[in-house]
Amino acid sequence: MSEPILEMTNVSKRYRTAGGFGRRRKGFLAVDGVSLRIGRGEALGLVGESGSGKSTLARMANGLVVPTSGTVRTDGQDVACLSRRGLRRLRRNVAMVFQDPLASLNPRQTVRQTLANVFHAHGEATSTAELVALLESVGLDADYLGRYPHEASGGQLQRVAVARALALKPDLIIADEPTSALDVSVRAQILNLLADLQRDQGISFLHVSHDLAVIRLYSDRVAVMQRGRIVETGPSDEIFRSPQHSCTRALVEATPEAELPA
Amino acid sequence: MRDPVLQVEDLSVSFTSGGVTTDVVRDLSMRLDGGRTLAVVGESGSGKTITGRAIMRLLPRGASARGRIVAAGREMLSADERELRRARGSDVAMVFQDSMSALSPYLDIGAHIAQAVRLHDPSVTRRAARARAVEMLDRVGIPEPADAVRRFPHEFSGGMRQRAVIAMALVNRPALLIADEPTTALDVTVQAQILALLRELQQEYGMAMLLISHDFGVVASAADDVLVLYAGRQAEYGSLRDIFEQPAHPYTTGLRAATPRLDARLDSGGKRTRLRAIPGAPTSLRDAGPGCAFAPRCGLADQVGERCVVEVPLPTVRPTNEDGGLHLAACHLDRLPALQEVAR
Repeated sequence: MSEPILEMTNVSKRYRTAGGFGRRRKGFLAVDGVSLRIGRGEALGLVGESGSGKSTLARMANGLVVPTSGTVRTDGQDVACLSRRGLRRLRRNVAMVFQDPLASLNPRQTVRQTLANVFHAHGEATSTAELVALLESVGLDADYLGRYPHEASGGQLQRVAVARALALKPDLIIADEPTSALDVSVRAQILNLLADLQRDQGISFLHVSHDLAVIRLYSDRVAVMQRGRIVETGPSDEIFRSPQHSCTRALVEATPEAELPA
Repeated sequence: MRDPVLQVEDLSVSFTSGGVTTDVVRDLSMRLDGGRTLAVVGESGSGKTITGRAIMRLLPRGASARGRIVAAGREMLSADERELRRARGSDVAMVFQDSMSALSPYLDIGAHIAQAVRLHDPSVTRRAARARAVEMLDRVGIPEPADAVRRFPHEFSGGMRQRAVIAMALVNRPALLIADEPTTALDVTVQAQILALLRELQQEYGMAMLLISHDFGVVASAADDVLVLYAGRQAEYGSLRDIFEQPAHPYTTGLRAATPRLDARLDSGGKRTRLRAIPGAPTSLRDAGPGCAFAPRCGLADQVGERCVVEVPLPTVRPTNEDGGLHLAACHLDRLPALQEVAR
């Protein structure tokens, strides 16, 4: 079997909290001894309530958050051992899409600048034709190159954010609530786009969401987090058909279905 | 027949800026009886929040409303400030998505509720108002209410804060509650609790509820009737059953088909189901063309032809499953083809 794209072993993250006079700093254990792997081409959905540690865990995958203990191996390399240059190389391979596209795109840069900067930052030249092809791969036409973020809608901006993530042909995309800020009708477009990328380009995904229905539709495997730990993990179909852990069951039961009540 | 708690007739809301007036909501009508819930569903630009605010006469500066709104027997659009102050909180109350912005960080929770009590009835003593606050916190399920009244908003979790805001809104037993995305910022398990609480209190008080939401899941679990808005106009209106079983507007079916479902089945090839997305992005009345605002995104518009782009469709009566129910849709198509096809 080929090496997994991401393998986390017994990873923990403790955030320091402000200690008062005479009070001991205990810190907040956001992630508590988690092990997780994502195979090549696999989409893993990470669900949990707010504060369960899912975003912290996702950010440890590409070194944005440094774990307090445990090892993170991305694409076979131990992230903790990487030099600055090594981290930079890692991040070509592991891209990220955030929840709020307006907040994650520079308001003073056109779409062209935003995309070209990705290549530039990694010492690569790029051409207009390449940028146009990139935009087309996310369903936008060449017009968008000249636009600023405020001149596009939320869905279009999230497409730009996905294009930016795709620019350097990553093996893994970490998507943290990529559709939570979007309108229902637009959310479906972006979810379909991400699903196509996984299928057609074999990109692996770590998809973080609080929305079980989104995860259900989209992931091969699901991990459920509660208070910093993964309490249940398994193939998507199984988890939703017969959730075992009480936390998963509570989430499944509480998710309102767009169906007539029986 | 009993008078409805809320009656809205031909409501239009416009914004004036720089001498230019543009409508954001046009010709909305609805009626809502005590004990019932009407869900207003829509996306960005649909005008759902502005409609809720117009009923409370809480419109932002530069906005004005025309038409007629009767809430708890009061003409809201012609009421003067004194009357409005009396109506708000006592007859009509509102709960917002962001509970933090509805609370003052400088006042404890008890003070918020006691203030609502005393504004409504100045003869109530401070001590009695405080006691009502404890009672009300207990009623909305906040543990140790006698202790909780002394806490400040930041000491509460999001779910507890939303409960406190509900306590504040309902302490004077309003006839109508307007809930604008009351659970959108909450975790699903907390959302389910808050929806259950609202339902319970509604039954206890016989209150009418206008539930503003973008989420068909929330709507299905809470509403009796549904009003679907698109670009400031009514797209469809009907009982929950009609809206789900025989929707008559392509936007309604499109919105539902675009909503991911927990029970999404695998198709025969073992591939995942794709969502049926609506192309394009939601628009507002301001940016809509002369015809149907949904036409540019509608998969059925070319079946009708030019009419969709030149003529605004008016709401017309559609078949209903309910006795005496009203089912309206604003679409040039009399019947949606292969309805089950589209809805799945």
